[in-house]
Amino acid sequence: MKSNYKPKIGIFGLTGCGGDQLTILNMEDDLIELLGNFELVQFQMGSSRRGNSILDIALVEGSVSTKTDLQRLKEIREKATYLVAIGNCSIDGCLQAGMSGENSIKVSVKEVYGEEAKFDSEFLDAKGAVDYVPVDFKIPGCPIEKKEILQALTSMLHGDFPQEFTYPVCVECKLNEYPCLITEKGESCLGPIIRGGCNARCPGLGVDCIGCRGPPLDNVNISKEFKLLLEEGYNNEYVMNRLRMFSGNTEARSRIKKLLEESE
Amino acid sequence: MSKIIRVDEITRVEGYGSIEVEIGSSEVLGVKMNISEGPRFFESLVKTVKYDKVPDIMRRICAICTATHTLASITAIEKAFKVDVTPQTRNLRDLLIHGEMIESHALHLYFLALPDILGYPDAVAMTDKYMEQVKMALQLKKAGNMIHNTLGGREVHGMNERVGGFASLPTDDTLLKIKTALVDSRPTAELAVKLFSEVEIPTYAKSENNLMALDTGKRFGFIGNYILTSQAGRYPAEEYLQLTNEKTFKHSNAKFSTFQGKPFVVGALSRMFLNGSKLEGAAAELYRENYDRLDSNNILTNNLAQAIELLHSVDRSIQIIDELVSTGIQEEGLAEFEIQSSRGVGTIEAPRGILYHDYTFDEEGKITKANVITPTAQNVANMEKDYRVAAGRLIKEPDYKIRETLEIIARAYDPCISCSVHLVKCP
Repeated sequence: MKSNYKPKIGIFGLTGCGGDQLTILNMEDDLIELLGNFELVQFQMGSSRRGNSILDIALVEGSVSTKTDLQRLKEIREKATYLVAIGNCSIDGCLQAGMSGENSIKVSVKEVYGEEAKFDSEFLDAKGAVDYVPVDFKIPGCPIEKKEILQALTSMLHGDFPQEFTYPVCVECKLNEYPCLITEKGESCLGPIIRGGCNARCPGLGVDCIGCRGPPLDNVNISKEFKLLLEEGYNNEYVMNRLRMFSGNTEARSRIKKLLEESE
Repeated sequence: MSKIIRVDEITRVEGYGSIEVEIGSSEVLGVKMNISEGPRFFESLVKTVKYDKVPDIMRRICAICTATHTLASITAIEKAFKVDVTPQTRNLRDLLIHGEMIESHALHLYFLALPDILGYPDAVAMTDKYMEQVKMALQLKKAGNMIHNTLGGREVHGMNERVGGFASLPTDDTLLKIKTALVDSRPTAELAVKLFSEVEIPTYAKSENNLMALDTGKRFGFIGNYILTSQAGRYPAEEYLQLTNEKTFKHSNAKFSTFQGKPFVVGALSRMFLNGSKLEGAAAELYRENYDRLDSNNILTNNLAQAIELLHSVDRSIQIIDELVSTGIQEEGLAEFEIQSSRGVGTIEAPRGILYHDYTFDEEGKITKANVITPTAQNVANMEKDYRVAAGRLIKEPDYKIRETLEIIARAYDPCISCSVHLVKCP
């Protein structure tokens, strides 16, 4: 890119809590300087700009939960050279996909809104953007870490993507020399199987990892974690509810389901 | 002949919603607030989940009000299991909610509402003339977030607030650092009151509003177990369903609330009118000074009410920190309790109004039923009333003017669309 060229950026939200856009707004010390490097075309939570130009970078948070979400996502993909999925919702559907159990969307609608409720927008089973369109980079987390989004955007300004974290939270916990919550306190910590990058934020406060950085990593032993927690006295349902919380709509979720079936 | 005026995507609000007004030759034929984000079904996601992880799921309903959702969730659980928490825990929770008000109100006033007044698309553009003020506003917002960070463990979706107390307690040193940030940013909170008291407030949406807010006891605050109404007195939290009679409409994924057949408002303006006499110090003075400007029937004065609350929360936070530091933080574990099959209703004032979490547990402490009613869901019916009134008064104005007005009204409510959308199961 030309040295004085400011890449055009758009920040969008589909269905979710808004926590990833808010994390960007929460970068109080860096926000103005950071955004100064870009031409801000749209930022749904933070701006009334409604630019419609081609985008160099689109950041998308939120899951695809309605046909409108899907249509918006496709439009963004068409306009953007690089589409970055920010946060678990847009990567794999987050809680609304992972915790939805076997209920179809129709059953959930009835259960939550009542029999007679009718709606204009058509609902879809919650999935990440990744399920529908090619995504160039993913920044995990519920919510994303400020440091990670800052690194990603600075890397992209230099024509590069940052490195992904491929080791579990457990590694960061050990590096910080925090006491092990599973073996020393009998807590149902998911640190051994969940992607690091948070510097073991929760174990550092004495709280077990709930897995908010996404589904279990590919290269970890989920069944060992499952057994470990059963040995600590947690029952199948409890462990299952823990494991599926952030497993979204992924391969890992089917593996977890299979584990449960085998153990019963 | 009729025409439809549409705001396709309300910007500078949390979430995805739109407005549609149908206008005939001399009257408004219809108004719709479309909440078009998808539902996330939290009430059904949380079924079979044991109480200990319920707040971790429920806090994710909304990012801006994450601490309020967390505390409403924890309060519901603690009421169900009859958990008694220590005065220190109560003080820290109070501080946490004040932190959320500071963060949320500073964001809304300076970054979402002020650009309308100054004629900018956003605060980033405002830096051409107001760099210094934008930076000050960011620092004020950051002071609120420091409280979130310290007590919640993270700004968005913390983990440190638990049933029975806090997993990890702050040190005196950290609390004093927060105090310094609050003291430094206090003038920015005062400036917000000045700015929003000096702007001319349009009256196009002025119409009778019914108000609702929590009774926060002797002090102006955000935690309480009774609901005050401007129409019909005071109700215990457990009777909330009578107050928030909800209906679904085809055009919206949120439920609409009415009380005694009329829409009502929750949020800063209602709190100011129902609890304002309890304000203390500088906020009390500013409340008296601005008493005539604040108009319970004009939602556009909500920003001024938020600004007064913002200053109140800065001052109260400093006071609470002083109290905590003077006695010294006591190392104490989580309160002990017994799980039982029961029900609890937790109520907290979120920045945008009353939030209800209502859970029923089985004997193992797993959720069998959950109901959550968010402030924006309660406000939607009143928002539609205001759109109708304003569009009627501006009927001769050009479309763009009406469109702009509708968006400004929506923003005055500081709506939180993600919140409103996950919704509610009626018993």
